[in-house]
Amino acid sequence: MASIEQPRRRRPPPDPIAVLRGHRAAVNDTCFHPSLPLLFSGAADGELRAWDTASHRTVSSVWAHAGSAGVYSVAAGAGLGNKIISQGRDGTCKCWGIEEDGLSRKPLFTVKTSTYHFCKMSLVKSPSTDARSGSSCSTSDVEPPRVSIEQNTESRGANPTEAPQEHDQCTTSNGHNMLAIAGQESSQVELWDITNARKIITLPQACSADTTDHPTKRKGLCMAVQAFIPCESVGYVNILSSYEDGSTLWWDVRKPGLPLSSVKYHSESALSIAIDGFCNGGISGGADDKVVMFTLDHPKGTITLRKEIELERSGIAGTAIRPDNKIAATAGWDHRIRVYNYNKGNALAVLKYHSDSCNAVTFSSDSKLMASCSADTTVALWELYPPKPQSKVEITQTD
Amino acid sequence: MASTQSSSVPSRGGGGGDGEKRLEALALDKVAEAADAVASAACAGEVVRAVHAVASLLFPVDSATVAGTVEEPFRSQIIEAATLSNDERDSWRCAFYQGPAFPTMSKILLGNVAMKWLRKIHASARNEIYDSFFVKGPPVEVIQALIPALSEKEDSKEDHQTFFSNLERLLILCLLDNKGVFQIVAEFASSNKHGDGIVNPDKTIFISRVAQLLTSVPDKARLGASAALTSPSFFKDVISQLLAGAEAVTVEFAADKDANEHCALSSMFHFLGEVLSRVSRRGSIGILVAELIPRIRNHLHRCVPADYKAISPNMIEHVSQSQFWFNMVEAMRDQHSVERLTEELLRQLASNHISDGEAYWILWTLFNQSFKRLTVMRAMFIDKFLLWKTFPLCCLRWILHYAVFECPPNSATETLLQRSFFGILQNLASIWSKKEFIQSYSVEQQAYITAAIGLCLEKLTKKELETTKDVLNSILQGVSCRLESPIDLIRKMASAIALTFSKVVDPKNPLYLDENCCENVDWEFGILSPKEIKAPLQAVESRKKPKTCENKRNAGEKKEKAIKHDIPGVRAKIVEIKLDHDQRSDTATSEQFEEEFDRESMNTDASGDSSLEPYDLSDDDTDLQKKFSHLSDLAAALRKPDDSDGVDNALSSAEKFVRASPDELRHNSGDLVRALVHVRCSDVAMEGEEDSAEEKRQKALIALLVTCPFESLDVLTKLLYSSSVDVSQRILIIDAMTEAAQELAEAKIVKTEHHGNLITDTSPSWLVPSNRGPPGAGPWREVSEPGTLLSWSHRYEREVPSRSGQVKSGKSRKWGLGKAKDLQVGWSRNRFPLYAAAFMLPVMQGYDKRSHGVDLLNRDFVVLGKLIYMLGVCMKSMAMHPEASALAPALLDMIRSRDVSLHAEAYVRRSVLFAASCILVSLHPSYVASSLIEGNKDISTGLEWIRTWALQVAESDPDTECMSMAMTCLRLHSEMALQTSRALESADHSKAGRALPSKLDSIIIPFGNMM
Repeated sequence: MASIEQPRRRRPPPDPIAVLRGHRAAVNDTCFHPSLPLLFSGAADGELRAWDTASHRTVSSVWAHAGSAGVYSVAAGAGLGNKIISQGRDGTCKCWGIEEDGLSRKPLFTVKTSTYHFCKMSLVKSPSTDARSGSSCSTSDVEPPRVSIEQNTESRGANPTEAPQEHDQCTTSNGHNMLAIAGQESSQVELWDITNARKIITLPQACSADTTDHPTKRKGLCMAVQAFIPCESVGYVNILSSYEDGSTLWWDVRKPGLPLSSVKYHSESALSIAIDGFCNGGISGGADDKVVMFTLDHPKGTITLRKEIELERSGIAGTAIRPDNKIAATAGWDHRIRVYNYNKGNALAVLKYHSDSCNAVTFSSDSKLMASCSADTTVALWELYPPKPQSKVEITQTD
Repeated sequence: MASTQSSSVPSRGGGGGDGEKRLEALALDKVAEAADAVASAACAGEVVRAVHAVASLLFPVDSATVAGTVEEPFRSQIIEAATLSNDERDSWRCAFYQGPAFPTMSKILLGNVAMKWLRKIHASARNEIYDSFFVKGPPVEVIQALIPALSEKEDSKEDHQTFFSNLERLLILCLLDNKGVFQIVAEFASSNKHGDGIVNPDKTIFISRVAQLLTSVPDKARLGASAALTSPSFFKDVISQLLAGAEAVTVEFAADKDANEHCALSSMFHFLGEVLSRVSRRGSIGILVAELIPRIRNHLHRCVPADYKAISPNMIEHVSQSQFWFNMVEAMRDQHSVERLTEELLRQLASNHISDGEAYWILWTLFNQSFKRLTVMRAMFIDKFLLWKTFPLCCLRWILHYAVFECPPNSATETLLQRSFFGILQNLASIWSKKEFIQSYSVEQQAYITAAIGLCLEKLTKKELETTKDVLNSILQGVSCRLESPIDLIRKMASAIALTFSKVVDPKNPLYLDENCCENVDWEFGILSPKEIKAPLQAVESRKKPKTCENKRNAGEKKEKAIKHDIPGVRAKIVEIKLDHDQRSDTATSEQFEEEFDRESMNTDASGDSSLEPYDLSDDDTDLQKKFSHLSDLAAALRKPDDSDGVDNALSSAEKFVRASPDELRHNSGDLVRALVHVRCSDVAMEGEEDSAEEKRQKALIALLVTCPFESLDVLTKLLYSSSVDVSQRILIIDAMTEAAQELAEAKIVKTEHHGNLITDTSPSWLVPSNRGPPGAGPWREVSEPGTLLSWSHRYEREVPSRSGQVKSGKSRKWGLGKAKDLQVGWSRNRFPLYAAAFMLPVMQGYDKRSHGVDLLNRDFVVLGKLIYMLGVCMKSMAMHPEASALAPALLDMIRSRDVSLHAEAYVRRSVLFAASCILVSLHPSYVASSLIEGNKDISTGLEWIRTWALQVAESDPDTECMSMAMTCLRLHSEMALQTSRALESADHSKAGRALPSKLDSIIIPFGNMM
């Protein structure tokens, strides 16, 4: 109804509501805290910063990965609790605690992955954690999302109850303590147990690595991974990995030898991949001039192309889908953030602020904010298509 | 009288020639009698009677009328005169005109009678007895009597008047009113009708003489003679009678089977030919052709039924009049006249807009007999008309169809091309391919031959082309030779030929060398149209490149405007389309994913997705271009040919960067200049954008030259003659220097109004002429003449009170904005003179040196032309500044050298003319004056050289543009002379006070008539 009232003429694209300045080098990655009003960003000079998203000020800053290595990726997730993980190009991932006055001075623990590649790590995403805003996975065999604690739930409290999966300890542990990352042999993907700093599995599994038809070696370096636990897999981790030649593979840890499915949507290296809240589909971008939306067919184990979007200028370094699955955003080498309607696939906005190539884009868990970071050393905060404030009455009605 | 009358009855049958002789003698006696009577006459009646006595023997005179006009006793005498039978009169007349009687009688009639008595004779009597002698006699004899008399001299002025007016009256009466020429034709024809057919030499001479007499009438007639005797109307009448007569006679003969046609008509045709040649020799060929065309068109219409499409030669041959038309041209023995006739015929046919088919058949009718037999005729068409003359394009088509293809245009039956065709084409092509031809022939001639080749090529097939190897080679050579030419039209010719040629070789794959080359070549090239409208002399400047530049710029602006204008509409359209598209895709995708998101749409409210209203999605890449922050980065980026984006960026930001003129510019400019000159735009730019890249490069160079001239010039002038750059880079350098000079010189004149008297420079500018003059003269005002050359220099005018005694007739008013404005004093902010020497002197050295890759005088003449043009622009840019006077001798020296001023290429000569004109306008008159007074040889001889050389060019240059530029140059020279004379005047004035006014007044001002 609001849309009908809106005039037909297009509005100019919005400007960022805030720009976070302070980094002295290209900002490689950024992520929101799942519950607190905090934003973390990692720069190429090794600095990891925490920002207050309300006051737009730096809360604290640590030299996470010293020297030229730099912070390549940061991740926070509900499953991790009050911790964030930073990935450096020094072969380590470090876990930092969040304290009263910001980040802990020293990492809580360090995982030595010995990887020096260009693949950003991925925490394990499960549909129930994100898709709580109205719908849930219909086939879910877990208890329904708990609406009552939705707004201000403490992740700590939410985690054990929300994580329904009782994983088989021999292959996986609890999904919240795992991260996926390209391996030492960078055509492989590894799954790590964070707290134990232990490699759980390598995909494809080493035993089959010697065979003549090695499934990934010819595909080049692994450039992006996304781990998730779909409802159908009964708690087993699935991984999507994108490779230098543009192909995307779908792995199930139960079949570590061969991928479930392999598709090639990009003509050049695929650089980023993101999966939606239901784990039913996702979006991927690459060095070519395409953004691809795809769906995952869980029963068949196949990836199907949903929509292919041509770009004016090639190069997508990062992609993200908003937790409510309404919009998706891409961070482009052309200094633009592009926003798409995730369901229909049509373009919604071209956001121009950054003056250098954008490295990553991310959404806050309440879907209200979007953050983009760029090589121009800034992080920009945007407010786009704010989700409808849903009163509790409505929510109970919908339920 | 009665006795003589009775004895004079002739016996017609009486012994042949003997009888005739006797009759002639008798006639002479009669004439003698009449002469005596006239000589001793005391009154007009007596004269009438005497003349009547002779006239009544020859003509059926109405004696009663004659008698009525005179008094007794002559009246009765006239009535008494015996009347003769018709037969008798005929034989008398025969004897009278063939013998000596008529010449004698005509002398008397024209002399004594005309001068003394004619006025007193009544008009009716004059008609009967006086005019009859001329009107009713055979015109051949009559004109032999009348026309020579035209050149006689009479003593008194009054006599003279009477004598000639009478003569002229008679001539008009007898030749024009009475169709005398028609009769002459008939007479010549019949004289030979039953003769032996051989025209004896005497007769030939006689015929020529008659023809000569006839055509000499307009020349011999007095200045004040009747209009009918002036050459246009006289010849028009004569020719129409002649043609009608000859045509009629031919028809008559064709009907008469017995007569030996050809022989019988030979003398008639001889006469016809003689008259026509003489008319054409007398310069009245236009009148002749104007008469000829309607007749021959009529004839053709007669031959061919109106609805008949295809004409065949038979159809024309069958008609009897054709025999006349077939022989007409051949009758003209004088080849030159034939040529003139043909040429004029073609031109008039073209201006009458006659169709190709008709023109072909006109040519065929006139020339088909002689063309086959006479090599002279063929040579006229094939050599003269194709190679030496220029006709409008349609004429060229006719000539080609008639003489080369030898088939009517649009003929349904494709006739095989004659072997001679290939010879002609070969000949044309070999001439066309020569470099000398391009250099030394006028543009019209070149366009004409180009069109001829083009039209020939259009007729060819690929197979035929391959059989003629030489043609192929010559055409390729000619095209490549022309493509190098700096003159646009010449290049256009090359691309037109190339296109036609490629169509012959492969019709599906035409070769377009030019963007604005259309499918059907316009062979007229804007020159060969029938109506030749010569452009009025334009300013030198406007002829040259700046104009085209300006045009381009204007066009660009216009385009831009148009685009800008269009943008809202276009965008609206795009938005519309996008909207449509969105809606469509919306529906499509929603259908597609209906199932999939069924669930979701159930859960989310209806407006969930539609609230995602797209923002404005327009995007541009202005912010994506790399920003350069250091000049050295710029130069470095330009030196990386593999990073084409970087070079492109550097090029586009260079100008802005340089214009900002940062501090380090002076240190980096040389480096940047070098980088800019060496960068390869064509490699870097995307396809289709080479031009804009080139433009950016040039603009950046100009900006450098303007912001730090000395440093940039130092590098550029060295690069200009270095072997490391190619021709295009040299041209780039020169172009950039030209524009930079203009920009530096762009005079920003700060004008102060004379209203307040606070701080005013009351001494008038030195440009203003001295205030001397008649008392009461108004103040000088500057005359602005936008768009003319004269505005380069300054012109002033003032009001001068009329001298005493000068009558002012009428009122004159000037309409203008406001009142006469006060003289405004301006300060020129021309920065160029400061740098002029640095611009000019280095490049003027060594232009004639030939080294590796540098050969300005011959191979790279385009560079030379541009260089001289640039020097001219430099001169103009410092017009009236003292530096101009210092640099002018050096430039004069350069352009005076034989290699330059007499360069084979018109392009170079044009530049030299331009530079010379620029020198003329840029020298301050007072400097010229002082150098004259001090005897400065450099300037005075240089200026004199400009004048003589320009005169020479204006007279004899093959290039028409050179000629018109030389004319402008001469005009400028004369204006400079005027200004100089003024300066001398003021110098004398200041020296000697009012000492020498009289002498100064005598200076001839060559001004008024040159405007």
